Amino acid sequence: MMKTFSIGGIHPSDSKISKDCKIEVLPVPSKVFISVAQHLGAPATPIVKAGDVVKAGQVIAEPAGFISAYVHSSVSGTVKSVGPRKDIAGNNMTHIEIDVEGDEWAEGIDLTDTLVTAIPEDNKEILEKIKMNGVVGLGGATFPAHVKLCPPPGKKADCLILNGAECEPYLTSDYRIMLERSKEIVVGAAIMKQVLGGCPAVIGIEENKPEAIKAMTAAVAELQKTAKGYEGISVMTLKKKYPQGGEKQLIDAVMKRQVKSMGLPIDVGAVVQNVATSLAVYEAVQKNMPLVTNVMTITGDCLPMENQHNYKFRIGMPLSYIAEVAGGIPESAAKVISGGPMMGKAIANLDATTVKGSSSLLYLTAEQTVRGVESACIRCGKCAEACPMGLEPFLLNKYARNNMMDELEENAVQDCIECGCCLYSCPANIPLLDIIRLAKGDVIKIIRGRGQR
Amino acid sequence: MDKLLVSPSPHLHTKTSTKSLMRDVVIALLPAVVVSVLFYGWSELLVLGVSVASCILLEYLITKYLLKKSCTVCDWSAAVTGVLLALNLPSSTPWWVVFIGAVVAVGVAKMTFGGLGQNLFNPALVGRVFLLISFPTYMTDWAKPNGFIGNFDAFTGATPLGIAKEGGVAAIESMDYMDMLFCNIGGSAGELSALALLAGFVYLLVRRVIRPYITLSILATVAVFSGIFWAINPAEFTDPLFNLLTGGLLLGSIFMATDYVTSPMSNLGGIVFGIGIGVITMLIRYFGAYPEGVSFAILIMNSVVPLLNKWFHTKKYGRA
Repeated sequence: MMKTFSIGGIHPSDSKISKDCKIEVLPVPSKVFISVAQHLGAPATPIVKAGDVVKAGQVIAEPAGFISAYVHSSVSGTVKSVGPRKDIAGNNMTHIEIDVEGDEWAEGIDLTDTLVTAIPEDNKEILEKIKMNGVVGLGGATFPAHVKLCPPPGKKADCLILNGAECEPYLTSDYRIMLERSKEIVVGAAIMKQVLGGCPAVIGIEENKPEAIKAMTAAVAELQKTAKGYEGISVMTLKKKYPQGGEKQLIDAVMKRQVKSMGLPIDVGAVVQNVATSLAVYEAVQKNMPLVTNVMTITGDCLPMENQHNYKFRIGMPLSYIAEVAGGIPESAAKVISGGPMMGKAIANLDATTVKGSSSLLYLTAEQTVRGVESACIRCGKCAEACPMGLEPFLLNKYARNNMMDELEENAVQDCIECGCCLYSCPANIPLLDIIRLAKGDVIKIIRGRGQR
Repeated sequence: MDKLLVSPSPHLHTKTSTKSLMRDVVIALLPAVVVSVLFYGWSELLVLGVSVASCILLEYLITKYLLKKSCTVCDWSAAVTGVLLALNLPSSTPWWVVFIGAVVAVGVAKMTFGGLGQNLFNPALVGRVFLLISFPTYMTDWAKPNGFIGNFDAFTGATPLGIAKEGGVAAIESMDYMDMLFCNIGGSAGELSALALLAGFVYLLVRRVIRPYITLSILATVAVFSGIFWAINPAEFTDPLFNLLTGGLLLGSIFMATDYVTSPMSNLGGIVFGIGIGVITMLIRYFGAYPEGVSFAILIMNSVVPLLNKWFHTKKYGRA
């Protein structure tokens, strides 16, 4: 029987409209604005100033703390300014503005397509390369990759899980790279597996992507035949269910283990990385290529087929520029989302620019996305049935509206992964997640405060 | 587009709504409604019409003039109560008795608690039990059917459970279970055909309106409970199949006990809830003064639901 996570989950429509659109390379615009906050943790510190000449792939901002990451220039040209600019949510963040001149790359970067299968022996060197090339998790959280690959003392990885589930509707970028860059992803997996001490690696892909399963299985088989260090890598077909790609859910599906509340995956011997992260690790380690490009999907039901795309973009490109190259924003679009429709963010500012973790421009019509009027809870329990963490959103909603913090904590509001299943399922249009999200923030603050005393 | 719409995730929503769920319950009741009208004819149509119309009208008047809230009639829940109440009454019930039932169901059991989602007891059942206690003669007058189909010669004018209560097991020996499965038995309109009710059950499950736990738990409990007693003394106690097919057990366990508002939230709570209903039903049937006890059993267990919700929670991820 096909594996999947054991609690809750929903089945929204697939809507992978752009799945057959090959990855195209976006032309470089005349100007880019590179944010220093492209990762989870402290924003990086800029090390360039106006007037500096930079090459593509050159470091322009340094990590400011343990959980932080290097940021590199994605283009060659002259730094025009370093200062505040609005991000997709409309908040000010330091951006480095660069006027593009030519396309010259920093030295030591291998720009060829040749597949490098020989894995460096020195794990320290590998981790240094992953760190220096600014690799972060590309599954959504953009957590610095080298941190996740160094388990704390006393903890050992039993399994590396590569997340190829891409359970969010509409998104197809992971699917495309699994088809077009399968071998590179497998090399990345072998590198990470070696760093983690040689544990097995499982590539989890949902059943609705048979071509990706085929391509990845073939890539694993071929590399195992022709190169060293690829044993113990396998592809696992997972049942289609959202949120399969949630870290905790994927660990449950693949390893039949559950991470304790407020715990980390490594506590149960799991390390989860997205397939796109694996590709970035390959580029960083084998090609010395910093993370300055990624693949994003331009899609939506209101977008004509010829305007659906999977683009390889460079960080710092204005979203409005990408939308225009892709064929313009459809008249009927009411909301533009960066990320999937379940967990992505609604874009408030299309002048914002791409970051390492950008995964899509998704256009939704008002009819698709405007919520209905809230009515009384009919106690159907569909929210609790859907919650993949086994929480009871109807109950948390009631406690949260009455500020009952002790009850919220007892009923595990802090375990919420904000997947949106509850709000999606509610027939009475109650804004469950909106309310639970706020309560979760408060309760986590209380728990952390208690720990410090 | 002129302006970007911004809101927190998720950005998509299921097409299932309160209205569509309630409408599905009405659709699931249609087979039973059709059978009852075919069998009992115009009088049943009158009961159904009066019940549904008065439930909807009362909810409209109460929300508009007493609660001064926006109208909730469009969510179909009043219609569900109306159909269920009608199916719980004999076809011969006078129209004004039906109306009083509707007043108690919607006016007292539902709206005094604050309307849909707030009531502790199943409105249709409160209406039925109120009528059963207040107008026992009307409520047990199993009139001779004058419907459009049916084998009226075999009709006895009393419910199988009533016959068993009066005459013991010997009195029901001649009854044919196939009749119970299709329609030729006496009783409330909705108790006529087990098959029609089961068809509704399948529809509700397929449309994912209800989960099967409560219904199956009730039926299993009734089967096991009556099975034990029947095995001990088949001369005194009726057999499990008879108990499953007769009375309001199927109507109650499929459509009334599974009412969202008045049943437990968790699956485990639902199973315990169902066991309670099954045991109380059988205690009343075997040892009580009334021949049938499903309504009372559900109402008694309704009152325990808040406790069951407190005791039984869903299984949480990563917590033993």
